[in-house]
Amino acid sequence: MTGKRILLFGYGGHGKHIAQGLIEDGFTLKIVENSAEYFDRARNDGHLDVEQIDVTNDALLKLLEPQKFDQIVCVMQDEHLNVFLTLSLRSLFKSSYIIAISDSIHTTKKLKMAGANKVIDMYEVSANKIYNILKRPVATKILEGFVHNTHGITLREMLIPEGSFLHGVMTDTLDMSPYGILLIGLIDEELGHKFEFITTGINHKLDSGDTIVCLGSKEKLEAFEMLIKEEKSL
Amino acid sequence: MKQILLSFALFLRNSKRYRETKETIRDLFLNEHNPYKKYIDLTIIFLIITSVVILIWEVKHPVPRWLDLYDIYFVSFVFLIEYILRFWVHTDWSKEIVDAYHNAQFLHSDFHFWRVVKKATLKKLKYTVTPAAIIDLLAILPAYRPLRVMRIFVLFRVLKLLRYTKSINQFVEVVVNKRFELLTLLFLLTFIVITSGIALYVLEEHINPNIESLFDAIYWSLITISTVGYGDIAPVTDIGRMISMLIIVSGIAMISFATSVIVSAFSERLVELKENRMIEQVNKSESFLIICGYGQMTKMFFRQRHQGLENYIILDNNKENVEQARRDGYLAIQEDASRFDVLSRFNTEYANITVLCLTGNDIENIYITLNAKSISSRIRVIARVNDVNIVSKFEYAGADHLLMPNEVVNTMIRIAITQPTMYKAIHAILTGKSIARIDEIHIYDTHPLIGRKIEDMELKRYKLLFIGIERNGEFLFNPPVTTEIQLHDVLLVMGRQISIDYFKDQNRVGGVV
Repeated sequence: MTGKRILLFGYGGHGKHIAQGLIEDGFTLKIVENSAEYFDRARNDGHLDVEQIDVTNDALLKLLEPQKFDQIVCVMQDEHLNVFLTLSLRSLFKSSYIIAISDSIHTTKKLKMAGANKVIDMYEVSANKIYNILKRPVATKILEGFVHNTHGITLREMLIPEGSFLHGVMTDTLDMSPYGILLIGLIDEELGHKFEFITTGINHKLDSGDTIVCLGSKEKLEAFEMLIKEEKSL
Repeated sequence: MKQILLSFALFLRNSKRYRETKETIRDLFLNEHNPYKKYIDLTIIFLIITSVVILIWEVKHPVPRWLDLYDIYFVSFVFLIEYILRFWVHTDWSKEIVDAYHNAQFLHSDFHFWRVVKKATLKKLKYTVTPAAIIDLLAILPAYRPLRVMRIFVLFRVLKLLRYTKSINQFVEVVVNKRFELLTLLFLLTFIVITSGIALYVLEEHINPNIESLFDAIYWSLITISTVGYGDIAPVTDIGRMISMLIIVSGIAMISFATSVIVSAFSERLVELKENRMIEQVNKSESFLIICGYGQMTKMFFRQRHQGLENYIILDNNKENVEQARRDGYLAIQEDASRFDVLSRFNTEYANITVLCLTGNDIENIYITLNAKSISSRIRVIARVNDVNIVSKFEYAGADHLLMPNEVVNTMIRIAITQPTMYKAIHAILTGKSIARIDEIHIYDTHPLIGRKIEDMELKRYKLLFIGIERNGEFLFNPPVTTEIQLHDVLLVMGRQISIDYFKDQNRVGGVV
């Protein structure tokens, strides 16, 4: 998965942190800013591939060649500019994958209309957390741990390779206890490219090419991932 | 004598039980937030109403003997007890004496026993001259039957109800605020009534058969100026009628002036009165939320959980935000939550309060957190942190939970880029979609699951995924299926909301096992 190229618009409050995280994860990054201040900041933070352009200018956007990037992330500090940019990018490059952030319900709607593939609402998750803290404090704490990987337990997605022993297994009969991990859900390619939780109660037949999402300690997850690959070679 | 009284006072002061009993009763009578106060209030109100109903019924109908006895003895007796208890808790007689005694000992000065006793007793007796105490005392009097006129004192029992109505206090407050205007008006009124009364008396006493004394003339004058005009006394001379016309005109002017003064005073305080009402309303519930700031985060919170969220109040400093919240249909008042007196108006002693600091300003959120925690450490604070670098400051301030929307968004974007499949899973779990709820089951005393093994719970049958157990603050992830469930465990399961609800219902205390 590493080596993917990301085009990041905006180096404001969010852009800075996202850029840092993506570099850590081993992505190749190109940062685009229209404000001189943020541009300088990105340069000072040690990012090499930074450009300062007027993002409202379509000709300049085309020169960036967004189609060569795997994903485009729009996190401009100015909300209106962010929506406008998303719209420009979508109209220019039909097939690009665009992720944008939004800080209100109305902006979320506008960004979706503008053609963003994924819109992340600033407050949706946090607002739900309030409710969770009030209703189920223990679960909330542990859940946070999974997402931020503080207990050493984390989620991971795995692709079932060709000829794996999981091929043809029904989820109801699959016993994960020997591996010490939990199967949370899967994408069954037979039923369309949609994520299904295991707890929906539907008995899925696993095939190679399906993606499963598991929860467990890092070592056990890695061991299991090796195992499903090894079986293939046998 | 002196020695006996002093040792008695010392004895009372040293008795823990005495002090505790007194404190409990004082709290019960005087603390608005005491949850049991309403039962006492309701009892008293019931007694008052029955007593008045009996009074009215008695005018035309014979009253059974037992009801009469109930009215005379029982009601009066309860009121007497109430009066004595209120008198008792008004001040601490023994405390005053003992404190003065200890001070005198400390300073090696003379201890003027009787002077101290006099001072303490006077302080205590002051209670009897407060309006409420006078009404209470008069309400007991109807018990004395030989005097028929005493029956009318039953009406004082109605006045006792004033203690329970806030509106009368508010009205008095408004009038007191405008006392300068109203007093001026009263002087003017008295002046006109008396002058015109005297004028009519002098002019018509011999001619008008209805005017026999100065009192009659002044009575006529007041009836006329108030525009009531019974007509029992009317001027008969032309000059008398001219006086009438003059005082009618000035009467109308004065009444409209008085009305406008009171109305404007009320409208000035209307907002405040309304906000007080809201706070009182929310204070009645056992647990409620105080939401500080009506911004995007609060809006999102409401959008997600509007149903089932009843006990809350929004505080915002900004008038526009408050108006917006009201337009959106939420209870909001314009107050500064970082002020001590604002938060201390809430029932911090008995209710479980959760303060949500959701303003966009970190400094303000920290200030509110500190403010809430300084009022009572029992208040739970959930604070929003915008700048990740100051998390430790919030922890020092005592915030119980922190929300970091910026950090969460950054994490979510990273997940969306690096693991797009998982993004959906995590997003669904974190936004609490009912399809993938992670919930907890607390194992309390006598819970049917105690001592059972994980494999015996047949979680698969309920379409639930067992994630782990929190035991003594430690989280056991995916423990072996033979693990036994212990008291105080918290079980973590994942599944659809209906599965979780069904499982909980089947495994509750006294449920089907």
